[in-house]
Amino acid sequence: MILITKEDFNLEEEFKKIHSKRNGAYSFFLGTVRQDIDENIDGIFLECYEDLAVQQLNKIREYSIKKWKLNDCVIIHRIGELQISDRIVLVITASPHRSDCIEACEYIIDSLKANVALWKFHTKENQRDAVAQKKKDIDKYLSWDEVIS
Amino acid sequence: MKIQKSHDLIEFPDNITFSKIKNELIKMDSFYDEIFKDSSVKYFLNLNEITNENILINDGDEIAFLPPVTGG
Repeated sequence: MILITKEDFNLEEEFKKIHSKRNGAYSFFLGTVRQDIDENIDGIFLECYEDLAVQQLNKIREYSIKKWKLNDCVIIHRIGELQISDRIVLVITASPHRSDCIEACEYIIDSLKANVALWKFHTKENQRDAVAQKKKDIDKYLSWDEVIS
Repeated sequence: MKIQKSHDLIEFPDNITFSKIKNELIKMDSFYDEIFKDSSVKYFLNLNEITNENILINDGDEIAFLPPVTGG
C-alpha cells in the first residue's frame, strides 16, 4: 500500500493491516521531525508532486517486493505542515524471514530519500526555507548498487 | 532561486520541441535561465524524465522542472 497524506498514521493500525500468518518477520522504519540543536525551527513543510511521487513509490515498492520476496510492503509519507516530533514517513516490510524485510526496509527509505518527488522546507515564524539535499543521502542510496546489481 | 509558484499554464505553438520551449521560457522570464543553468534540476514530461531535449511537446502535455528531492 502506498499513501501520501496530510493526515497522521497509527503504527499499530498499519501493522494490523499487513499482519499475516505467512509472515515471520516485519521491519519498520519511522521518520519524525527532528529539532536540530543548531537550527531553532518551528517545524517543517513538505511539498510533493503527487502523481510522480506515487508512480516512483510504486516502482520502488514493486522492485523491493520482487527483489527481497516480500509478502507485503506499506509506504506512507505525510505532506503539508508538520511540527517537531511529528511522524513524517513510515515503511513496513513483511517477509517469511528477517534478513529480507530488514534489508528491503533500509533500501526503500534510502531510495525514497534520493529519488521521490518530495521537498522539505524548514518553517520558522511563517517563513519557509528549502532544505538542501544531503550528499550522504545520495551516497547511501548509490551504495546499494553493489547489493542489488 | 525562487519561482514562488508550483505550476503554470503556458501556450506554445504546435510541433515545438522541449529545447525550443526552454528558449521561449528564458525570453519570458529570466528565472528560467537560472533553472536551466542549474545541472541539479531534472526535467519531466508527463511523469517521465526527459533524456532527449528534441522531444516534441503535444497539446495538454505537462512539463516539470524538479530540484533535488529532500523527502523522508
